[in-house]
Amino acid sequence: MPQAMWRSEVRMDSLETFVVESAIDSEQEFYRKIIEDNLASLKLAPAIGRIKVVLKPEDSLFQMAIILRDVGTKVTTIDIADVESKPVAGEVVISIKKEQYIPELLVKLWERYGKANISQPDRWTVTISTDKPAEEAAFIKEMMVADPRHRLHENLVDFAIRATPEGFRVRYHLYKGNHFVFVASEEALKREWIEEAGAMLDELTEGGEK
Amino acid sequence: MAVLLPYLYTGGVHKHGLLIELMEDLGGYIIQKVVTGTEVNLIMLIPEKDVNVVKKLSDELLGVLMEAPLTGVEIAVVSPTLASHHLPHSACDVAEYLRHPGANTNMIGLARGMGRRVSLSMDYERKLINEHDIAVFTFGSFSDCITKKKPKLFEGIEIPIVVTGGPVELKTEDVPGADLYIGNIGRVSHRLRRTEEVNALDSLNEGVSKIADNIRKQQAKDPLAVLPARVMKEIENQVPEIRTVLSPAPLTLQLDGLRVKLPYDEFHEKIENLEFDEGVTLSELANISRSKMKNYILIKIKSKSDVGFAI
Repeated sequence: MPQAMWRSEVRMDSLETFVVESAIDSEQEFYRKIIEDNLASLKLAPAIGRIKVVLKPEDSLFQMAIILRDVGTKVTTIDIADVESKPVAGEVVISIKKEQYIPELLVKLWERYGKANISQPDRWTVTISTDKPAEEAAFIKEMMVADPRHRLHENLVDFAIRATPEGFRVRYHLYKGNHFVFVASEEALKREWIEEAGAMLDELTEGGEK
Repeated sequence: MAVLLPYLYTGGVHKHGLLIELMEDLGGYIIQKVVTGTEVNLIMLIPEKDVNVVKKLSDELLGVLMEAPLTGVEIAVVSPTLASHHLPHSACDVAEYLRHPGANTNMIGLARGMGRRVSLSMDYERKLINEHDIAVFTFGSFSDCITKKKPKLFEGIEIPIVVTGGPVELKTEDVPGADLYIGNIGRVSHRLRRTEEVNALDSLNEGVSKIADNIRKQQAKDPLAVLPARVMKEIENQVPEIRTVLSPAPLTLQLDGLRVKLPYDEFHEKIENLEFDEGVTLSELANISRSKMKNYILIKIKSKSDVGFAI
């Protein structure tokens, strides 16, 4: 199924559904907290629409199904900043509008122009000294700064590994469209565990249509 | 023999030398001195009858003097591995909190301690843990694991075992092999700062202090041939190289000995031949061996009944 269809189907709030299931109530709470903390530290909470986790320590089993929200498209410099060329001074001035992408932007700029040619007079401004301000400004405007989808995938895998109990090192993960399924265990994975996780995902998908 | 009480002094660096001099005059011991910026922490053993004198001076210096029941105790904080699942929270928080009442803690991450069926400890790790006075195992949040699977990590551990974990309803007797179980310190991904978490850390400190007291009481029935603190002072006087060691506690006191953070091959003879005023050498009073930690020297002091006399 094309990805665009997946995305247009689902409209939801962040963390609209957040379920953790386990045989023992207190253990649910611990894991809920661990998942919350890890979502927060990886800044994933806004990207996740619905999440369900099932814990079965007696079987050494951890299952997780996630439905992602629309994560947006690639970000170019012009989406996050105003770019202005100053031919007289031999400078390109970038005025930042969205601060969250500054690290990625700077890494790309350093690579191209070298740290010595880039200064940050204040939090919202980056200045680049160059011989050809006009051409460089045009280039920078169209430069891709970040690909949220790529970053999201990395973060999701990182999140899944951080949230799982450490010994559960046999893992299965599926990332397709805006669906993410993760199963981890200490033993060899059984087919029905993965199927169960798939069923959890279906349940989550239906949950939104009510 | 004078009874020595453990205290922690916290105050400004200004004139804290007066306290050190006073301690020399009274026959007490400075166990550790930590200077951070303009603050100084002194962990010391004060003769029981002179505590008031020290208290008076510390008040004059506008410092705080408080009891530090875990002074001279070396604790191993053992986490199943050193992965992000256990560190920096909660294992580091546990280790840090145990240091407040004066303990020296070492964090030990087992190589293969994670998991249920697959977790195990190596002979080397068990020997290293056994060099300490008390072991604190930081486990996770599943009661099934804590009661059924993880206790196999206790095999071969001869020192008292304290276990921390998530479930609150578990009792010490539910965890086979543990001497104490503390709940509410399970696997977390945030700093332990909520009320119930800090309370759990407090009860951990209390419980560990009680265990240390029990060991001291057992020791009092058959005292050590020499006080570890006195050996510490003699090493400082007779082995000047110890001053060049950059480790945080070059001489780490234990309840029944001490760890000397100098290379074994180069210094073990000097340590063995350490002389006391009474005319005995340390090798008569203690077993001196190579520590499993780096290449340090481990001194375990024999009891009075073994040696036949005490100094």
